[in-house]
Amino acid sequence: MTENFKPKITLFHCINAFDEAAELSLTDMDNCEMQTVKMACSSMVKDVFLLKAFEAGADGVVVLVCPESQCRYVEGNIRAKKRVAWVQNLLDEIGLDRRRLALGNMAAGDKAAAAQIINDVLKNLAELGPNPAV
Amino acid sequence: MIVGEQKPISEIKEIIAPYKKILILGCGTCVKTCFAGGEDEVAVLASALRLACKKDGKEIEIEEFTVERQCEDEFIREGAPAISRNEGVLSLACGAGVQALARRFVKIPILPGVNTTFIGVLEKQGVFTEECSGCGDCMLAIFGGICPFTRCAKKLLNGPCGGSQNGKCEVNPETDCAWQLIIERLKILGQMDNLRAYVPPKNWQTGLSGGPRKLVREDHII
Repeated sequence: MTENFKPKITLFHCINAFDEAAELSLTDMDNCEMQTVKMACSSMVKDVFLLKAFEAGADGVVVLVCPESQCRYVEGNIRAKKRVAWVQNLLDEIGLDRRRLALGNMAAGDKAAAAQIINDVLKNLAELGPNPAV
Repeated sequence: MIVGEQKPISEIKEIIAPYKKILILGCGTCVKTCFAGGEDEVAVLASALRLACKKDGKEIEIEEFTVERQCEDEFIREGAPAISRNEGVLSLACGAGVQALARRFVKIPILPGVNTTFIGVLEKQGVFTEECSGCGDCMLAIFGGICPFTRCAKKLLNGPCGGSQNGKCEVNPETDCAWQLIIERLKILGQMDNLRAYVPPKNWQTGLSGGPRKLVREDHII
């Protein structure tokens, strides 16, 4: 691990899973730099957006979606899950490591669950170090 | 449509290794529909390659462009300026598109980024199946619109082999038995008598076995 490494996380989240108050509580985390991208539904998270986040300098990317079977648009979170899995394979293929990208299901406003998902990625990043493609 | 799938990133990296300035050229027709080479796939591949090259410490400039159809000169023309200002072109079209580009731009390497696999249909979202072998002598009229040559593992033209179980092929249990489908369809159409006639062996000269084929329409040539 690189010393004094403060990871940059890009957080994509569905506005139905995650309100502004919850977002504020997370962006205050002092062990990382957080950039958030709000989506009307997690199905808007396309593979290219996830890759662009890494191109823009993110060390890790987190996608927060509603619990399965509770998507307002029926299957948005399932689509997001499949796209994240697709990009995780791409990350492995290009040598960035799939553990830099994670998807978490969380009940609306469950800040503790969101923090847990982000902390899991931070643990991975402590091992992986900064994004090697920056 | 023509179905293809993108080559693995590792292979593409090797193919583009000699170049520092490359155009990824998509095709907005068949390969777009099968998620192999449309505008979206161009963007994802470009992004993935930029990340991969940066990680490896390799400098590369990647430009992205997609034309409506790479197998026709009229559409290729739109991409000419982008093609001309790059050292090489990674085409995400089918093999016909790659060769159409190579024919027009003889001094620029045209590299394939897609493996062209078959002529098929969209069975359901995200699933594509082979339905036509392009044999040049279509017999679908007598087989109820189901091609036994393409869809029967044994390519039988005269009836089922008897080895299918529950409508599935004995060679690959995940594949529907083409002959079961043919018989079911002919029953619906009231055309079971079609199967009384003996179908002679095909003349493969109309297919690829007779060498590369050419179709000439005199009425369209000035």
